[in-house]
Amino acid sequence: MSPAGRSLRRTLALSGKELRHIVRDPRTLYLALGMPVVMLFIFGYAVTFDLDRLPLGVLDADRSPESRELVRAFESSGVFQRAWDLSNAAEEAEGHFHRGRIQGALVISPGFGRELGAGREGQVQFLLDGTDGVTAAIALGYAGAIAKAYQLRLLSRLSLELAPPLDARVRLRYNPEARSTIFIVPGLIALILALMMVLLTSLSVAREWERGSLEQLFATPAKRLQILIGKLLPYVALGMLQVLLVLALGTLLFQVPVRGSLLWLLGTALVFISGCVGQGLLISVLTRNQQLATQVAAITALLPTVLLSGFIFPIENMPWPLQALSTIVPARYFISALRGIMLKGNGPAEIWPQLAALLTFALVMLAAANARFQRRLD
Amino acid sequence: MSGAILAATDLSRRFGKIVALDGLSLSMGAGELFGLVGPDGAGKTTALRLLAGQLRPDAGSVRVMARDPVREGDAVRAELGYVPQQFSLYGDLSVQENLDFFGAMFGLNGAEVEARSEELLALTRLKPFRSRRADALSGGMYKKLSVACSLLHRPRVLLLDEPTNGVDPISRRELWQLLQRFAAQGMAVLLSTPYMDEAARCHRVGLLHRGRLVRCGPPGELRHSVGHGCYWLEDLPRQIAEEVLAQTAVLTRVPQGKRYRLLVRRDGEEALAQRVSQAGGRLTPTQPGFEDLFLLFTSEGGDGA
Ligand SMILES: Nc1ncnc2c1ncn2[C@@H]1O[C@H](COP(=O)(O)OP(=O)(O)OP(=O)(O)O)[C@@H](O)[C@H]1O
Ligand SMILES: [Mg+2]
Repeated sequence: MSPAGRSLRRTLALSGKELRHIVRDPRTLYLALGMPVVMLFIFGYAVTFDLDRLPLGVLDADRSPESRELVRAFESSGVFQRAWDLSNAAEEAEGHFHRGRIQGALVISPGFGRELGAGREGQVQFLLDGTDGVTAAIALGYAGAIAKAYQLRLLSRLSLELAPPLDARVRLRYNPEARSTIFIVPGLIALILALMMVLLTSLSVAREWERGSLEQLFATPAKRLQILIGKLLPYVALGMLQVLLVLALGTLLFQVPVRGSLLWLLGTALVFISGCVGQGLLISVLTRNQQLATQVAAITALLPTVLLSGFIFPIENMPWPLQALSTIVPARYFISALRGIMLKGNGPAEIWPQLAALLTFALVMLAAANARFQRRLD
Repeated sequence: MSGAILAATDLSRRFGKIVALDGLSLSMGAGELFGLVGPDGAGKTTALRLLAGQLRPDAGSVRVMARDPVREGDAVRAELGYVPQQFSLYGDLSVQENLDFFGAMFGLNGAEVEARSEELLALTRLKPFRSRRADALSGGMYKKLSVACSLLHRPRVLLLDEPTNGVDPISRRELWQLLQRFAAQGMAVLLSTPYMDEAARCHRVGLLHRGRLVRCGPPGELRHSVGHGCYWLEDLPRQIAEEVLAQTAVLTRVPQGKRYRLLVRRDGEEALAQRVSQAGGRLTPTQPGFEDLFLLFTSEGGDGA
């Protein structure tokens, strides 16, 4: 057999063996294909980040045309629903908050309309129940947008030479109904891939360390690169399968659009997956132990992807040290690229910086894993 | 050592503060069956891993057919079969799948793997179990499969780490017959074992104790090199026996049932015989075995007779 033929045969034999492990351990398969479905349903149906008619207490101490217009702006947004009219006392709002009757309160100070009319700042207070931080953060975003839109409307009325306001809700442009499922699916793909790919690959190599099969494998003339590529290939394929699964379900069940090229989407996913399996490999090479590998995978893959990728918490709202940290989280670039491709129909011209970042991450991880992977037991 | 197929020179390896192997030197020719005998923790596994190039030595060198297994790994691995101590096949793969996989790893093509695995399955009598998962095999069958997997590429050197540990007596005898057959065909076979009684079946034996090779030679010679008297002590209550035996000439004493097995320095034999007969006991001479030999080395901290 030619050296190339032998090399290919080894790589394929390793992949075949790995595939058998995956297929014969139904837990891996359930986890790999079941988790995306479960997560999609949880995020799609149960945990909706869409705010629908959040009960709002309103205290309009000004009772001017301007104040009434602001209240109407909140009401007509569809996000808030005027649930209680508060008479005057701030303690009253407190009581309603406690009893869960309202989740937000709009407090307009006396003289609001007069101040605005005089071109000065009007005083408005917006109180939020912060118990559910995510909801509160989103509600705050909406409240800010409503106030901004109101302000622009007001401005355009006050000084005619001002151009009519642009759409103040820039973030919602590509998702007009502000449906969070659409926004969530790219993040979900990143989360599932980051978690599963890193975890599964790190476990697969750590398992061989623990069970001693590497000792037998190392006794054969198989080369390091053949071992690595052969072991990783099936997981890359599994990751692509997950992407297709989430995309298919997202499109069918939640009408998530793919406005850009599917090919570029899959290509970007492939680069991201390569980085993830590289990270998983590096973890297992360093820990050589399944339990430790799991913990390290959770800390280095799951946490950053949930917290620092912009999946749930917008990066621009983070304090700067976290923003800085987020620049080394690959999911950040992947989610941004996916959102671009899926929602805005972006192509390589727009997403190349993200692609470059993902490619860099993948190369660094794979090179580091390859460098640390010894074909020996010491 | 030009004729040596496998040679180690002053091989040492430590793990942190533990000196696992301390200056091992040995050399083997074709067709030789060499047994590395030693108790738990003696350094057998470390020695075999160093010989197989799985570990890097701190000092000393290994040559397999004149090649360094660390620097010329691939060339050495093509000539070397290695059966690790731990379970190291893929348990969720069948017997045949394990053979196919390792065949591919050794760079054999499909036809070669098929022919050789047929041959090895017949030799190890595993044919009826070819579709059974490896982790469902008995200890003996598993070891035989492990041996088969490491012979697919027809190595000239075979290293086996405790191949008979956890194996029932019948499979154990079968394994030994296989190893003796391989050696007879010209393979250099080196195995490690904690069982002293297995030493007698090797052409040459090395006694390993605390990382050091304390004795090395043909088993018959080693046994005769014990320069002490070996005895059974009988008919004495334990307490009295302990009193009688409390002297420096008694090198080892192992209670076995109601008897004691002893190694006694020649210059103390007479005195001991007197004390025993005074106490009313009986002293019968016997042939020293490998157990006695080994006990002697280990009780004296390894510096031997
Ligand atoms: N990878 C390692 N890391 C740390 N210590 C080790 C390692 N391998 C072996 N040792 C230590 O080196 C010494 C020799 O171990 P080794 O496994 O070679 O002995 P052995 O004769 O094979 O014993 P056993 O019969 O238990 O298999 C022991 O004290 C062991 O604890
Ligand atoms: Mg051992």
